[in-house]
Amino acid sequence: MNWLTTRRHFALMIAPALLIYSLYMIYPILYSLYYSFTDYDGVSATTFSGLDNYRHMAADPVFWTSLRNTGVILGIALLLLIPLGFLLAVLLSGRVRGSGALRALVFAPAIVAPILVGLIWIFILDPQIGLVNAFLLAIGVPAHPQWIGGPTLSPYSIAFVYLWQQIGFVLTIFYAGIRMLPRDVLEAAGLDGATRLQQLRYIQIPMLRETFGIVTALVVTGVFKVFELVFALTGGGPVHLSEVMVSYMYHITFTTQQYGYGMALAVVVFVVGALASGATFLGNRRREKQS
Amino acid sequence: MATSPQPAPLPSRKRPGISRRLLICATASALLATAAGCGSATNSQGGAASDGLITLSMHNPDSKTQDPATYELVQEFNAAHPDMKIKLEGQPVEQHEQRMTIAAQSDTLPEIFWVYDSLAKTMVKDGDLLDLTPILDEDNLKTKFAPSMLAGFQADGTQYGVPYQALITGFYVNKDILGEHGIALPKTFDELLAAVKKLKAAGVVPIAQGANNSSFSVWAFLTMLDRFGYEEKYPAILSGRVRYDNADFLRLYRHVRELAEAGAFPANMSTQTYAQAVASYMAGKAAFLDAGVWEAAKIQKSKVGRSTDFWAGPTFSDGVGEQKIVMNVPSAPFVVSAKVKKDKKKYAAVKAFIQFYYSDAGQKILVDNAQPPVTTYKPDVDTASDPVFAAVLAAAAKPGWKSPEAQPDLVVSAATASAMYDSFYGVMGGSLSPEEAVRSVEKTIK
Repeated sequence: MNWLTTRRHFALMIAPALLIYSLYMIYPILYSLYYSFTDYDGVSATTFSGLDNYRHMAADPVFWTSLRNTGVILGIALLLLIPLGFLLAVLLSGRVRGSGALRALVFAPAIVAPILVGLIWIFILDPQIGLVNAFLLAIGVPAHPQWIGGPTLSPYSIAFVYLWQQIGFVLTIFYAGIRMLPRDVLEAAGLDGATRLQQLRYIQIPMLRETFGIVTALVVTGVFKVFELVFALTGGGPVHLSEVMVSYMYHITFTTQQYGYGMALAVVVFVVGALASGATFLGNRRREKQS
Repeated sequence: MATSPQPAPLPSRKRPGISRRLLICATASALLATAAGCGSATNSQGGAASDGLITLSMHNPDSKTQDPATYELVQEFNAAHPDMKIKLEGQPVEQHEQRMTIAAQSDTLPEIFWVYDSLAKTMVKDGDLLDLTPILDEDNLKTKFAPSMLAGFQADGTQYGVPYQALITGFYVNKDILGEHGIALPKTFDELLAAVKKLKAAGVVPIAQGANNSSFSVWAFLTMLDRFGYEEKYPAILSGRVRYDNADFLRLYRHVRELAEAGAFPANMSTQTYAQAVASYMAGKAAFLDAGVWEAAKIQKSKVGRSTDFWAGPTFSDGVGEQKIVMNVPSAPFVVSAKVKKDKKKYAAVKAFIQFYYSDAGQKILVDNAQPPVTTYKPDVDTASDPVFAAVLAAAAKPGWKSPEAQPDLVVSAATASAMYDSFYGVMGGSLSPEEAVRSVEKTIK
């Protein structure tokens, strides 16, 4: 134990992890940052272009669309995914017959590759061949909303599919948190006459504060990594109206070969993601201190 | 910890320094090891003596089914040249382009590869590609090509590429569907528009298009650009003397909007892929398909094979210049890594393959797989057994019709090409007005 506590040995112990982290995390970030100030096309020698890529980004309407769409997904995830995941966890943690099977069913989408989730949902949301519009037609609704592929609803549909895919994961974390709560506290509250709702509001939610913090952090970081769903559902279309930040960065870098601009977008994705995650962690820490 | 007999000694002022040095040394060693690893990988590829094995890297993961002509050509070549061997590999287009870009950066390009011309032009500027002039001069191979087939792949006196296949694009037309609705094969835009309205009213999808991850699938509309003077205008557009959002192009985009408003395109065009559009045409669910000669063999085998014709697209009464235009141009090129020159055996293998590919025997393999020849080889196509392919070749060789030198998207940067695709799909889907569409392309021209 003494050996572990000396700084020299501590440094030795963390050196391999630090090295790998530096090589595969810090170096690519610095590399991207450098190329974001150039006009790199992926092959030719680079020319320093200062802030040109960032100025171009500020004037690029698709960038703002992708930022807004990412915000839509983040908003829906925070407002719906976390509360719904928690409520489902509360419901399934009770003595419900078949709750194990239900949990497995709800968790199932989380183990399906996002690209497959996208493909599955095309057959549900497609305006022409999709199940939703076929159902609307069957019940006599003449409207054929463009759930995906249209100029308006695509980001909301993507957010909904993301919610469907992630809810099992969120539920599982909350479920584990609820199962860890001391039973005697709830039993005592029950004996004192607290209703199920009061137990939830005054005991379970406050005691799960840390779990809420972890889930929020995971959801926030997860939203900034959404790519495959967009790729499979709409390909970012029509004309980039359903792009999220990562998918637009991919399009610019690899389809249009504007590596310099693509790296500038990558830097902004990183900064926005880091700020959002940082704010979440800071909020969590503040709440921990208060409690 | 609490039972530790002695408290941990306080670290001296020196220790953090040692730790820092230790970390720095370890980091530096790891970086050096990585750099050395990268270096050795490059060196072994470039400098090792070869055995005549070369790699041909293509834009599809399974050439045997997706590009049987190239697959068969490679098999025949390997059988006829026991001292040489071609390894055929590939990935889907986008991954392939990425991989070639990364390979160019790391100096690990395969010996021969397919690549979009815009990327090839960047590579040739960087000295990554071999000048093929000596190979084409040998045995008068150059005389086998129409000059326009090679002209697009030259830069600063270097012949950096040779055409992989010929690109004949336009509309496949289901004659039975048109006949059922009393529609004659259209010739002009007005006739096409009238046909679209009639088909839409009858509940038939007029033109199969798919934009999801395949926004490039606007070939027939790129040909229409040439009917509004693109070929004459584009050098001036690229040099900034003429704008893409000019009145002529705007007229074309307004015509595209007319088609869209008439219901020419499927409601799920944005979520449907190009492959799904082809499938819907082959299932008899659409009257027209925007595609090219590469689909001929597949359509021929489908249930609509017997009723399919090929059409170069509509002429316009308000177009600019020649209207009898059919797109019959070289597609993206085959290029050769400049490093091949350093290895005699590899160079000999590349030379032999290029000579075989463009020989009459090689071109016959292309034709046998429903691909048009890229040389002056005259194919003998049986219209009874290959009706769709024969229809495509007939449209390409129609008397009085001529081809531009290059497809519009192949002479601009990848960013501009991408904006051109989006501009057409944007108007087709109603997300962009014609004015916004042409402006969005203009913005990408530097």
